Amino acid sequence: MKTFRIGGVHPNDSKISRNCAIEVLPLPQTVYISMAQHLGAPAKPVVAVGDRVKTGQVIAEPGGFISAFVHSSVTGTVKSIGPRKDLAGNNMTHVEILVEPDEWAEGIDLSDTLVTEIPSDRQFILDRIKNNGVVGLGGATFPAHVKLNPPPGKTAECLILNGAECEPYLTSDNRIMIEQSSRIIIGAAIMKQVLGGCRTVIGIEENKPEAIKAMSDALAELGKCGAAYSGIEVMVLKKKYPQGGEKQLIDAVMGRQVKSMGLPIDVGAVVQNVATSLAVYDAVQKNMPLITNTMTVTGNCLPADRQHNYLFRIGFPLSFVAEQAGGVPQEVSKIISGGPMMGKAVANLDACTVKGSSSLLYMTAEQTVRKQETNCIRCAKCADACPMGLEPFLLNKLARNGMYDALEENGVHDCIECGCCLYTCPANIPLLDTIRLAKGDVIKIIRSRAPKK
Amino acid sequence: MTTTIIWTIAILTVLGGLLAVILFLVAKRFKVEEDPRIDEVEKVMPGANCGGCGFAGCRAFAQSCVEAGNLDSNFCPVGGNDTMKKVAEVLGLEVKEKAPMTAVVRCNGSCENRPVINDYDGLKSCRVKAALYSGDTGCPFGCLGCGDCVAACQFGALSMDTGTGLPVVDQDKCTACGACVKACPKAVIELRNKGPRNMRVFVSCVNKDKGAVARKACKAACIGCGKCAKVCTHEAITVENNVAYIDFTKCKLCKKCVAECPTGAIHAVNFPVIKPKPAPTAAPAATPAPAPVAEPVKKEE
Repeated sequence: MKTFRIGGVHPNDSKISRNCAIEVLPLPQTVYISMAQHLGAPAKPVVAVGDRVKTGQVIAEPGGFISAFVHSSVTGTVKSIGPRKDLAGNNMTHVEILVEPDEWAEGIDLSDTLVTEIPSDRQFILDRIKNNGVVGLGGATFPAHVKLNPPPGKTAECLILNGAECEPYLTSDNRIMIEQSSRIIIGAAIMKQVLGGCRTVIGIEENKPEAIKAMSDALAELGKCGAAYSGIEVMVLKKKYPQGGEKQLIDAVMGRQVKSMGLPIDVGAVVQNVATSLAVYDAVQKNMPLITNTMTVTGNCLPADRQHNYLFRIGFPLSFVAEQAGGVPQEVSKIISGGPMMGKAVANLDACTVKGSSSLLYMTAEQTVRKQETNCIRCAKCADACPMGLEPFLLNKLARNGMYDALEENGVHDCIECGCCLYTCPANIPLLDTIRLAKGDVIKIIRSRAPKK
Repeated sequence: MTTTIIWTIAILTVLGGLLAVILFLVAKRFKVEEDPRIDEVEKVMPGANCGGCGFAGCRAFAQSCVEAGNLDSNFCPVGGNDTMKKVAEVLGLEVKEKAPMTAVVRCNGSCENRPVINDYDGLKSCRVKAALYSGDTGCPFGCLGCGDCVAACQFGALSMDTGTGLPVVDQDKCTACGACVKACPKAVIELRNKGPRNMRVFVSCVNKDKGAVARKACKAACIGCGKCAKVCTHEAITVENNVAYIDFTKCKLCKKCVAECPTGAIHAVNFPVIKPKPAPTAAPAATPAPAPVAEPVKKEE
C-alpha cells in the first residue's frame, strides 16, 4: 500500500459518523450567502435589495481572475446586502434572502438520470464549470476552472482524485463515495477529458473499505459505457495524516515531489477532491450550480443516533444546522468547522455555511483546552512528523525573534499548516501559531521582491 | 634556549612591523571618504536606534540628513524639536518645528464595556490572535488585549491595565516613534498631536460596524450617529464607515462633541477639572439631606 514518504502522524481517525447516510436539511427561513465562498477575490453581488431570485440564479460575479460565481441557494426576495460576521467573526458582505418554496432557475436538469455521455467540447466543459461556480471542495476552495486549465507548456500527466479524507472525524467524503460513486466517477472522467485524457487515480485511505468497494464497483459498471472510462483506477492508500494534502497525495500516488513554491502541475499532476468531482458532474451534465455540499455533524460527546451527515445548501446559518442536529450539547466547549487538525474554531455560530463547509465538530473542554506550554526539550518529534521535511522547533524560535532571512532559508513558506508538529509536541509549544504567522510574512516578503528581478 | 626566544621575538617583531606597513598602505589606498558631519549629527541624536524616523538607526538617519541637504522630510520623533534644532545647527540648515505627538489608544472596550463572548487560550500575541479570528469579544475592530504594543515599546511608555484589559500610554515617556502603531494588527493605536498642555480630544473607537451592531458588542462604541460632526463648528469631525474621526489639526478643543456623544466614545484628556460653582446655584441642587444642616449655618453667619 502506498503513502507519502516524509513525516506524518497517526491520530485516532474517530470516524464515528461513517455509517450515517446523508440526510437532506430542510430550508431555514432566511439564508445569508457570503461573497467569500472561495479562495481569492470576493465575488461582487449583481442583485439588488428587493429583487426576487430563483434557486440556482447567479447572484454574484467573480471579483478577479482567481474568484468564482456565486448562485442563490434558495428562491426568495433579497432583503439586504451588507456586512455580516463570518465564521471567525470578521465582516464579509453577505446577501440575505428570505426563503420561499423552491422555484428553480431555467436550464437546470433536475432529473435523477445518470448522464454517462461526456461532452466532447473542452471549452464547453470549462465554461460550465466556471459559470456554475465550481470550486475545490477539499478545503482550500480554489476555483476549479483555473486548476483544470494548465498554463501553456505544461501538461497534466495524472489527475488525482482526493478521497483520502485523512482528517479525523470527517465522513462526508466517505458518504458521497458510497452513495454517489457513479456521479463522482463521471465527474472524474469529465476532468480527465479536459486535461487531455491523462491517467486518473482515485486515492482512498484504507480505513474506508465501503467507499473503496463502492467506487470500484461503480468503476467496473461505468467501464462498460465507453473509452472515456478507461484509464481510471482506485488506489488504496495507507492511513496516515496528512495524506489528503495535495503535495503528500502526489508523492503517495506518483512518487514525485513538488518543489518549493511550485505548483502540482509542475510535476504533471492535478489534484481534485471527490466532492469537487461530484460538483463537476452536476455542473457539466446537469448544468446545476454549486449550491450544495455535504457536511458532518459529529463529536465524541454526541450519542450514536445524533451523528449526522447532511446535504446542506450554502448560506444556512450554522446555528440552524446545529438545531436540526438536535442542538449543541452542554459539555461542548469548542465547535470546529473542518477537521480537528486543520479546521477553524467557530467563533460565531450565526455564521453561515459556504461551499467549502465540511463539518460541525463538537469538542469538550478536555479535548481542546491547550495545555501549559513548557520548554522545548529538543526531542525533534516535530521534525520527524513534518510532512514537508521542515524543522518546526527551529522555525518557531526564528519566528518569535522575527528572523525572516533565516526563516526563508529554512523554508517556512513550504509549511502546509497541517498541524502535525503541534499534535506531536510533548512540550505543548504552539508551533503552528508562530510558524503560520511567519509564513505569511515571509511569503509577503518573497512576493514584494519578485517584480524587482 | 635563549637563542630560540630571541629569534622568535625578532621574527615576530619584523613580521608585525611589515604587516603594519601593509595595513597602513591599504588603509590609505582604499580609504572610504565619509562626510565628517555624519558623525557630528549622530552625536546629537538620541541614540535609541528605534527606527521611528523610518531609517534603520540613528546613523542612517544622520547620513540621510547630510545627503539630502535639507531637513524637510526628516524628523526624529524621539528627540523632537530640540534634537532637530541641534541637527540643523550642525548642518547649518533650517528646520520647521513640529507639534509634539503621542500615541493614543483608540479603543474603550474594557471588560465592563465590551463583554467577552468566547475564551482564547492560544499564544498570547495579538498578531497570532488576529490571524485566527476576530477576537474574544463581539467587536472585530477593537483592542485584542495581548500586549503586542507593550512588547514593541522600547521606552517603557506602554503598559496593560489589568482592570480594563487595555494598554495605557504614559505620555511623558512616549516618544511617538510609532513602533506600537506598527505592532498593532488592528490599527487601534494612532499618533496624535499632544496638544496644548497635553489636552486632547479624540474618538476612542475604531468600530466600523453599523450602530446597532457596534453597540451590541460594546457599550462605549462609536455608533456613527454623526451628532458630533453636526455640533462641531470647526469641521474637524468626519464620519466615515460608521465611525467618527477627529482631525487633530482642525480641532480647537471646545469639547462640544464630548458632551454630545451618546455612548461616551469621545474622550477629552488632561483638561483641568472645572470646580462646581459655589453657594447660590449649588444650594437648590444640593441633596435634601445636607440641606437642613446648611441652612442653619447660613443663618448664623
